[in-house]
Amino acid sequence: MKLNIEGLLVYFPYDYIYPEQYSYMLELKRTLDAKGHGVLEMPSGTGKTISLLSLIVAYQRAFPLEVTKLIYCSRTVPEIEKVVEELRKLMEFYTKETGESNNFLALALSSRKNLCIHPEILHANIVVYSYHYLLDPKIADLVSKELAKKSVVVFDEAHNIDNVCIDSMSVNITRRTLDRCQNNVDTLQNTIHKIKETDAAKLREEYRRLVEGLKEANVARETDIYLANPVLPDEILQEAVPGSIRTAEHFVGFMRRFLEYLKSRLRVQHVVQESAPQFLKDIFDKVCIDRKPLRFCAERLQSLLRTLEIADIADFSAVTLISNFATLVSTYSQGFTIIIEPFEDRTPTIANPVLHFSCMDPSIAIKPVFQRFQSVVITSGTLSPLDIYPRILDFRPVTMASFTMTLARTCLCPLIVGRGNDQVALSSKFETREDFAVIRNYGNLLLEMSAIVPDGIVAFFTSYVYMENIVASWYEQGILENIQRNKLIFIETQDAAETSMALEKYQEACENGRGAILLSVARGKVSEGIDFVHHYGRAVLMFGVPYVYTQSRILKARLEYLRDQFQIRENDFLTFDAMRHAAQCVGRAIRGKTDYGLMIFADKRYARADKRGKLPRWIQEHINDGSLNLTVDEAVQLSKHFLRQMAQPFRQEDQLGLSLLTLEQLESEEMLQKITQIAHQT
Amino acid sequence: MDEEPERAKRWEGGYERTWEVLKEDESGSLKATVEEILYQSKRKRVIESHGQVRLGMMRHLYVVIDCSRSMEDQDLKPNRLTSTLKLMEAFVDEYFDQNPISQVGIITTKNKRAEKLTDLAVQMYCVCVCLCCFTASPGNPKKHITALMKAVDTVCVGEPSLYNSLNLAIQTLKHMPGHTSREILIILSSLTTCDPANIYELIKTLKSLKVRVSVIGLSAEVRVCTVLTRETGGSYHVILDESHFKELLMLHIKPPPASSSSECSLIRMGFPQHTIASVTDQDAKPSFSMSHLDSSSGPGLSLGGYFCPQCHATYTELPVECKVCGLTLVSAPHLARSFHHLFPLQAFIESPVENLQGDRFCQACQAELKDKSVFSCPSCHSVFCVECDLFIHESLHCCPCCIYRQTAP
Repeated sequence: MKLNIEGLLVYFPYDYIYPEQYSYMLELKRTLDAKGHGVLEMPSGTGKTISLLSLIVAYQRAFPLEVTKLIYCSRTVPEIEKVVEELRKLMEFYTKETGESNNFLALALSSRKNLCIHPEILHANIVVYSYHYLLDPKIADLVSKELAKKSVVVFDEAHNIDNVCIDSMSVNITRRTLDRCQNNVDTLQNTIHKIKETDAAKLREEYRRLVEGLKEANVARETDIYLANPVLPDEILQEAVPGSIRTAEHFVGFMRRFLEYLKSRLRVQHVVQESAPQFLKDIFDKVCIDRKPLRFCAERLQSLLRTLEIADIADFSAVTLISNFATLVSTYSQGFTIIIEPFEDRTPTIANPVLHFSCMDPSIAIKPVFQRFQSVVITSGTLSPLDIYPRILDFRPVTMASFTMTLARTCLCPLIVGRGNDQVALSSKFETREDFAVIRNYGNLLLEMSAIVPDGIVAFFTSYVYMENIVASWYEQGILENIQRNKLIFIETQDAAETSMALEKYQEACENGRGAILLSVARGKVSEGIDFVHHYGRAVLMFGVPYVYTQSRILKARLEYLRDQFQIRENDFLTFDAMRHAAQCVGRAIRGKTDYGLMIFADKRYARADKRGKLPRWIQEHINDGSLNLTVDEAVQLSKHFLRQMAQPFRQEDQLGLSLLTLEQLESEEMLQKITQIAHQT
Repeated sequence: MDEEPERAKRWEGGYERTWEVLKEDESGSLKATVEEILYQSKRKRVIESHGQVRLGMMRHLYVVIDCSRSMEDQDLKPNRLTSTLKLMEAFVDEYFDQNPISQVGIITTKNKRAEKLTDLAVQMYCVCVCLCCFTASPGNPKKHITALMKAVDTVCVGEPSLYNSLNLAIQTLKHMPGHTSREILIILSSLTTCDPANIYELIKTLKSLKVRVSVIGLSAEVRVCTVLTRETGGSYHVILDESHFKELLMLHIKPPPASSSSECSLIRMGFPQHTIASVTDQDAKPSFSMSHLDSSSGPGLSLGGYFCPQCHATYTELPVECKVCGLTLVSAPHLARSFHHLFPLQAFIESPVENLQGDRFCQACQAELKDKSVFSCPSCHSVFCVECDLFIHESLHCCPCCIYRQTAP
């Protein structure tokens, strides 16, 4: 159908549209009009991707000078493939409607096997790839730096974007890294010797270039051709590479010294935490390495690798990592912390020293993106509370909206189970974690649910350790045996192969009527990437609130930083983080309007307003006061009723006019009125 | 001391939210209630059944009753099993009333096994060898009903097995002649099934044998049943409560549309006359009713009865398949009862109540029309309420006002 969105003609490749899609497009258009950034939350399964694509493509066609390119970032390869599929449908629709062959070029960068390096990609109108291509400074420099300024960047499934940013900037150094780095440096030295004998002029040429400084890069940045690289700070562009590392041999010697210093730092017996300036002072005191040459390390190494014409950069990943670390540590005095741990928390007897150089400020990695591109849109099914993302990513959005799901029937049923049948409060909090009564009641809940929920149930625990404890305890109490009479049990483990095997068998059991339960962990692979459509997930149980492990030093440092820099209280952030993961977990079950599923939050803390209020609006609006602090029995009764209601025949016609619209219905005055209420501005 | 021994045990039952039934949906059209959707589908059913379709009038139906552990659940009163069997009795009665020339058999499944409670009639072979070995006669509900009444006491254990029950039903159904319908109706309470082999293979077999499988679920929608019914062309429903259960069960009384590929053939039928010889008549010879041979009780010798036109065997009840010569014996009223399936009453026209001039009373029940739409007969233009509309179409099969006009003036 052809839509008119505030004067913009949008081709939409389907005959029907959801009201929220229309509303979403409205908001998106306003964002593009204002040339600003946006944060948009819309539940999964309501056609976010196609709404985004059709609007932006229409915008590109209408204003080719305003928006030249769409950069669509998604998380995983299957998601990228899904986007490409939708895009193909859209393009076919365009060809059919307009009758002209389209000159749109779209490009997907998914994996190496699909990689194309034809220069034409620079002119592609749409680029679909993974987050890392834009956020990770190492890859971004290769792939994304020539993207035009007038691009629209979309981050889909962006609820974890702050963690991606942080991971892309953080460096972990172990003994193994250092050993491999040592080898790299040796290889470099040898190569330099060889080159010196054969082609000394090349090295001299490089030297000359370094004296002139990184002018080239500077010119490029000033003329706005390239995306800024956070590893290449502005200041060093103005300066020449310092003399101490200008010749190749000196640089290699410098790296050796730095390496020795790191090795000595790793020989600690106790945990050390220090800031970047402290680290720099220490390195200056011990091995007389100045801040300035450290800052040039990354750039100098790149130059050297280019000069030596080393093809296989992957071999030199260790030395690249170390040099990046050197540059980062000397560039940013804030936003990073250095933690050296002599052993892991779990195995305090085995020495395995790690140097965490951890980024605490996600805005550092994403800053160039916000600065460079005129519109950046962050979207996901779960972004609540919306206002926290602009704060932690440090940007100013022009639109922030949360959309609800219009439903012809209430197909999701969130229940908060706070008590067992014996009135024992259910909670995964630390004090009651070992409590027998709580574990028994959790088991009882799963047992009762396994008897009334058809096909698949997915249960999430807060951590692997917690899951192990509970399952062991259930086994002893005989609960597991009783559950197995109703359904088969599969468990997610940290082993990827094992988990995918379990998943496959789980789906088989759901398919052939045996029924199955998948026990998995919030923040695990299953909770993030796997969808449980229809019968694969008729109920999701969330045992406890999935708080992150708060004793980790890195997290503590980050919380402190958030408090000092962004005035976000530790507790607020932890709750926000826990709730977004809980929402992700339970959201796995509902993947569309014809789907239905139970969402059971088994912890009395969910009933509190501060937790409940942080759930996405489309879940929150279905939690009524009657489903707040249920006992297991009450929950079972409600679930039974819900499942029977949902099993009644449901056809497309029932949705029409309510949650699914034809063009005429969409254009009615009354409907337009209703649509304005769908978007919830914050 | 113990004043109310029965009521005192209420706490042992499940938690019920009886007040929720009364809840109204005040939030308007955004949350259309499921009841509304159900009502629509009810109407649709009435309308749908009025096409001129070929119906499979000679039906062979196997009803599979789940007797697994979950049948002990008390959400139907007093429990699922008793309630189901009770409804089944009514079903069997009604089934033979509406489909006099059809057959039914009952299978129960529990503990991963399936067994026949009652069989379909054995067709036309081995007549003279042993008359006592026949199990059931066609069109005779008594046998089934006694078996159902006995089954109330069965213990519900283990899991059901869809595969085994379907397989057992196929063994008999596949020998049924092509012009008859082959149907299986499963009443499934459990949410799991324990199968010895891949059920999807069996579904393919069912499809190729043109067996229509329908499922009534007592708890929730199970994927494998959805696939099973979709593939074999049956229907799948899940009950909301007891009355809905009954309604769903009664849906299966109406013969299903015959698939166009099923072969047509003429069937020999006998229309025996009922003769009652007076006791004073000296020529009359008392004879045994053949249908009572296998049951130990009941009257033995009688003077009158229905005599098979072919072999003169005596029967006290019709319809029946002659045990001697295998002829299907029916009476003309029986066939006439099946007649309305072929020429159903036309659907009434739905119109909003505002358009109605004059009195707003239903012609049938005389109650005031309160719903937002009314139904009028296309031939006599009488107005009815929705309940009467359903009653007329489902039970009466003729418009009472039309009949009245035909007879009155």
